[in-house]
Amino acid sequence: MMITITNLKKSFRTEEVETLALNNVNLKVEDGEFVAIMGPSGCGKSTLLNIIGMLDNPTDGSYNFAGHEVGGLKESQRTQLRKGNLGFVFQSFNLIDELTVYENVELPLIYLKMGKSERKEKVMKVLERMKIAHREKHFPQQLSGGQQQRVAISRAVVTNPKLILADEPTGNLDSKNGIEVMNLLTELNQEGTTIVMVTHSDRDSHYAHRVVNLFDGQIVTESQNRAIGAMI
Amino acid sequence: MFKNHLKIAWRNLWKKKDYGLLNIFGLSIGITCACIILLWVEDELNYDTYISKQDQIYYLPTNQKYDGEWRTFFEATPGPLAENLKNEVPGIVRAARTKSDNLLFQVGDHSFTKNGRYVDPDFLEMFDFHFLEGGKAVDFHSTDIILISESLAKNLFGESQAAHNKTVRINNQSTYTIAGIYKDLPKNVTYTYDWVAPFEIFAQGKAWIKEYGSNFADTFVELSPQANFDEVNRKVKELLPAKTEDDEIYAFLHPLKDWHLRSTFEGGINVGGQIVYVKLFSLIALVILLVACINFMNLATARSEKRAGEVGVRKVLGSSRQGLLSQFMTEALLASFFASFLGILLIKLVLPYFNTIIGKSLTISFFDPKHWMVFLAIVLICGIVAGLYPAVYLSSFKPVSVLKGTIKTSGGAKAIRKGLVAAQFVVSIVFIISTLIVYQQVQHVKSRNLGYDKDNVVRIPVNGDIIKNLNPIEEDMIATGNIENIGVSNSTILSGGNNTSGLSWQGGVNTEGVLVSIRQISTNFFNTMGMQLVEGRGFSDNPAQDSTNIIVSESFAKLMGPGSAIGKTVENDYPVIGVVKDYLYDDMYGSGDPVIFFNDPSEARYLYVKTKNGVPTERALASVEGVLKTHNPAFPFEYEFVDDAYEAKFNKERLIGNLSKVFALIAIAISCLGLFGLSAFTTDQRRKEIGVRKVLGSSISGIVGLLSKDFLKLVVLAFILAVPIAWYLMKNWLEGFAYRISINIWVFIIAGFAAVTIALLTISIQAFNAATSNPVKSLRTE
Repeated sequence: MMITITNLKKSFRTEEVETLALNNVNLKVEDGEFVAIMGPSGCGKSTLLNIIGMLDNPTDGSYNFAGHEVGGLKESQRTQLRKGNLGFVFQSFNLIDELTVYENVELPLIYLKMGKSERKEKVMKVLERMKIAHREKHFPQQLSGGQQQRVAISRAVVTNPKLILADEPTGNLDSKNGIEVMNLLTELNQEGTTIVMVTHSDRDSHYAHRVVNLFDGQIVTESQNRAIGAMI
Repeated sequence: MFKNHLKIAWRNLWKKKDYGLLNIFGLSIGITCACIILLWVEDELNYDTYISKQDQIYYLPTNQKYDGEWRTFFEATPGPLAENLKNEVPGIVRAARTKSDNLLFQVGDHSFTKNGRYVDPDFLEMFDFHFLEGGKAVDFHSTDIILISESLAKNLFGESQAAHNKTVRINNQSTYTIAGIYKDLPKNVTYTYDWVAPFEIFAQGKAWIKEYGSNFADTFVELSPQANFDEVNRKVKELLPAKTEDDEIYAFLHPLKDWHLRSTFEGGINVGGQIVYVKLFSLIALVILLVACINFMNLATARSEKRAGEVGVRKVLGSSRQGLLSQFMTEALLASFFASFLGILLIKLVLPYFNTIIGKSLTISFFDPKHWMVFLAIVLICGIVAGLYPAVYLSSFKPVSVLKGTIKTSGGAKAIRKGLVAAQFVVSIVFIISTLIVYQQVQHVKSRNLGYDKDNVVRIPVNGDIIKNLNPIEEDMIATGNIENIGVSNSTILSGGNNTSGLSWQGGVNTEGVLVSIRQISTNFFNTMGMQLVEGRGFSDNPAQDSTNIIVSESFAKLMGPGSAIGKTVENDYPVIGVVKDYLYDDMYGSGDPVIFFNDPSEARYLYVKTKNGVPTERALASVEGVLKTHNPAFPFEYEFVDDAYEAKFNKERLIGNLSKVFALIAIAISCLGLFGLSAFTTDQRRKEIGVRKVLGSSISGIVGLLSKDFLKLVVLAFILAVPIAWYLMKNWLEGFAYRISINIWVFIIAGFAAVTIALLTISIQAFNAATSNPVKSLRTE
């Protein structure tokens, strides 16, 4: 089991009010699964994704990632566990403007302290696969949105992570580029990478094996998709 | 990893060229200023280090008691002291009397007056002489030899070797053989000498030199390396009272390391001196560097929202906090490196001007490892000081809040930023206030009524036949029509000269303790100097007639008791015939001291010439030179203007004034750079708000006001904080002067007004630009 979440709670506190963002969430994600999380704005999708991505700690409950209990780990410990195991794809790409395409993709490998030649091999391989290798020396602002998201996906997969977390990956793209990105994610999933994706888009959710619907911090429905990619 | 950090740091600087340059430029000004101050400090701390026995050499000042108070005198040890010290005080291995003098050197048509010293033979062993020719094994008891410096040798003979064993005519009366040529002394030396000659020459025909009682010499001693300073000093202090049977005078050891920096004495006790300024300026260097670093911190944290995204992504991708810390530190260090580099160029550019201000010749040396070390230290310190806080702050961002976009510059960071801006302005305003007060004080003293008129008066050293021909010189000078009056005196109008105590007079009380200055002058001296007789008459033209009559200053007349001083006698033999208004000498901040004038031009050392009002200086000087060439042909015409010499008395104050002006300007410039950057940044951030406000109908002035208000509040706060600090500092500074201004409230008002105006100008450029831009543009970019 890749992810086992039990009775997970997350609350945010301001000076006056405490808001419960996630309330008793139970979720299991198997190795190799593709799960879409859906729900209206403010239902807690992104909070859940952030906790799964170890960017945030739950207030209560348990989160087990590939046999490691994550809830209650310190930031530096979470960073250690995250490195190489998780890849992130964001709606707004979050590429570093000061780095070239190549350098952006290379960054996680540097943090893994990988040797230079090995890094180069991996980066070029993934860039070629994502059909963006010809742009390796460009800076993010010089690319189209679709190209930027391909770079972001390259960066997410370059370490060969077990799990890719995608937060509305097509939200800032037109439909043609969006479909292209979804196809890439599907391809990765078919090769064995587990994917958890937050989305607003019905179309995108159909790429997933399973759709989890969140409402007011709770999972309200779960449904299985039979035919993967059948809508295209 | 480091390469990656460096690359990012460089691209960040490059991408935000305007902010980057602002940062680097501000920092480099600070670094330049700090480096120049450090060069000066280095120079000050290295005085007299050319002497290899630094720890063993001591000077001997004397403490003497007058009016119940100990006063410290330099160049005031008696003749036999040195020899007695060497013989009677264990631990003293060498001792030398020296007497400073100006000699006229003549070789063929060349003649120069140079200052040097008559010295005892031990002097050559105590001080380091690097002889280029001769010098060693010279019999220093003979009375016809002299050792001269390399540059004097070059002046006289064109090259230094040529001077060796040559003869030179001295003062147009004796001939000495040049027995040695030594390398010039470095510039930072307390006791200087362009020549040294055997003390015997000076002592010839002066029986009083062998007696205790006349205090005239600079005496130096050398202690053995094993000697116990306290023990030796105790014995030294005992010697003079024992020899003179007078317990109101004693000599003591003044260590070489204190000669330059700690030579101010109050009540006979060392109270520091120049060291105060060394410490003060070191502190100022640090403060200015800090002010410059603040700019860097502020701009870095202000831009944090833009950098937050990058921090978040890096953390998500696995960067540790340490990694980010080192990345941001790398950026700061890189900026600091560029700034230091630019700083070196600026130093090269600015140093000559600074040298003229302070009257030194400081240089920065690329071959001096010390300078490199300091440079490196400055790069590191600036980088760390400027970068640490932003690095800690930026790397603390939580990735989840960054990515959610909920990151807002925390209130704490904003408050710190405001605090730092206010701190910068506190420093600037303190400097402005100090500058104004120092200027006022210097002007206050300079415009003080001195008791004489220093303008249009030329001072000429008396030598050769001047005294013999005084009458024809006077007649001829007046006859040129360019000269109003001439007079002579045995000491300069500006300084103390001879003095004595223990005089008695009719009706006098407590006559023992008062120190009275003695002046020997010619008839026309008072007229020449514009000094006013308040009672009685001046000296008659015939010196013989007034040979025992004296004129006294007002404060002496007061000492003589109630009623008129005219007709009273001093020491029963000298009747007072006139009272002259008090005049200031030595201490321009003090008050007029008791002086007795004798009508005796024969001992005169200075000739004063008052030129006629309206006569061009050149023409007046030509007249004087012409007359002197006729009546005193052997000597070159050397002169000094009394008002220049007077100005020179305020060198230290002027230096402080000039430096505080420079520091004020630099502090303001750096603070304004910071303010400019910060206001540009906030304006940029509020572009959308400005757009909305304009669409809703706000006026340009409304928006300028909105943007300026926050910063102006800070400057006002800084002013409120700066006033008591400046008041306290300047009150302390002014207390060092007996004659001083009282601090005027207007100084604060002017400084506050200046700071607010400068700040407002700086901010409003940005604000006005933002306010006049088309709102549609800023709204569309959102």
